[in-house]
Amino acid sequence: MNSRKNKDCRKQKKNTPLQDKPFGRREFLKGAVKAAALGSAAMVSGCGTGLLGSSEEDSLRWKEYFKKHYRLMTQEEKDETVRRLERLARLRRGVDIQMSSKGPIERVLFGYAFNLTRCEGFMECVAACVKENNLDRKSNTQYIRIFEMEHGEMSPASGNSKYFHEVPVEDHFYMGVQCFHCEKAPCVKACPTQATYREPDGIVVVDYDWCIGCRYCIAACPYYGRRFNWNEPYVPVNEITKKQHYLGNRMRTRGQMEKCTFCVQRTREGRLPACVEACPTGARVFGNLLDPKSEIRYVLKNKKVFRFKEELGTDAKYWYFID
Amino acid sequence: MKISAFKTGLFWILFLLLLIFSWGYAFSEKNSVVEIYKNATAPFDDEKSVDSILLIPDNTVPVETKYQGGFFWTETRKDKIERFKCSECHNNKDVKIARAAEIAHGDIILDHGGQDKPLSCYTCHKKDDRNFLVTEEGSKIDMDHSYQMCGQCHFRQKKDWVGGAHGKRVSYWAGTRVVKTCTSCHDPHSPLFEKRWPKTYSPPLVN
Repeated sequence: MNSRKNKDCRKQKKNTPLQDKPFGRREFLKGAVKAAALGSAAMVSGCGTGLLGSSEEDSLRWKEYFKKHYRLMTQEEKDETVRRLERLARLRRGVDIQMSSKGPIERVLFGYAFNLTRCEGFMECVAACVKENNLDRKSNTQYIRIFEMEHGEMSPASGNSKYFHEVPVEDHFYMGVQCFHCEKAPCVKACPTQATYREPDGIVVVDYDWCIGCRYCIAACPYYGRRFNWNEPYVPVNEITKKQHYLGNRMRTRGQMEKCTFCVQRTREGRLPACVEACPTGARVFGNLLDPKSEIRYVLKNKKVFRFKEELGTDAKYWYFID
Repeated sequence: MKISAFKTGLFWILFLLLLIFSWGYAFSEKNSVVEIYKNATAPFDDEKSVDSILLIPDNTVPVETKYQGGFFWTETRKDKIERFKCSECHNNKDVKIARAAEIAHGDIILDHGGQDKPLSCYTCHKKDDRNFLVTEEGSKIDMDHSYQMCGQCHFRQKKDWVGGAHGKRVSYWAGTRVVKTCTSCHDPHSPLFEKRWPKTYSPPLVN
């Protein structure tokens, strides 16, 4: 597995004569055995550059391949990988980023509420989210989707999310949909590598390096909350958000799943998510569900709230309310 | 004959019991978020728990109403009004510049209260004391505490604003609660948000 990822080894494998022959099962098995032998030999020898560390970038990348799942790392290991990733960002893209591996805050469970009466569809939140989370500009990836719906409509499935005209339109309301950070998240159950999981403060995150890109979670999510990188994401160097978090807005690569993280890099420091801060109408409420004095608790106690597709039992931490 | 009737009876009782228990299990709210937050009644100490929290920033004033967590702060208004203090012009001396009113206040479009009950300048501003707002009851209100003025009619919004369902906090969810004031978002003279183009657009759904 490790040798496959290394460039030099891939070259060596391609040179084997087996590649040109038409494949039968027997030939395939023979080839696989040979390739495995070759690969392990290459690993022992360090495959030219890797272990010897002929260049700094190669050696850093080599070390990155052998790190653990984020949940199994000790704090020292987290610090090491964060340092490596910072250095790699410097070497590869020429930007100085500050990455954090800050853990969850004690006695905090994040919750979110969306005011359907107030949202007017200006989409400032979407733009702020794209900028904050270093989302791919080429494929126009967005975590938030705003649906324009007629009064009386009950499901965003019948709404229009591709609108581009002056807003708000009469007799319409706007419903924002993003990851709902379910307590019983179907995507977490579906993930075969446990790359996506629930953090103790309730945020459902993805360990990008553990994601194999199978996209089972997309199929499992009933809310269209997850995004896949079909291409290498592209962000202009001067637009990269430099304050990053290991589980949040650090740069992803092709074939990795990503999603809204309630802006983990901000919220674990007490700041509001980018979408809440950008909202010009105050339709978005964010806070600690375990704090009796928080705004979110006031909304849940005093307003008419509902959760989207509550009957599925996903137990989302994202409520809609009306004034 | 008797035994088989007893057996079927027992079967039905067991079946019903199973149904009742599974029903109860399926609809129990154990360990659900709702259960969790409803049980969380102990106060949360922001300053101890969160490392970097907002100290009270400049240009804020303590709000005279308490919210469920005690005192909170709001953004000031006076420093954002271009020609404050008003009494610099609005005094008993004559104004010698021609079209002074138009130059000073020509940009104000008054569209507040709808067509049925349109407000005039003197609904909020009084001739005697221009530096303050004056309520219907006749009490003076500092411009920084304009929420008290707006709350006369928009009492529901004011209640929600105090609690946290209307308006928004400034930058931080933790620490000292600092919120935007009414006039941070609304133009008091035409408070409805204007129609405009959205900031961006969404591509068609894929994946």
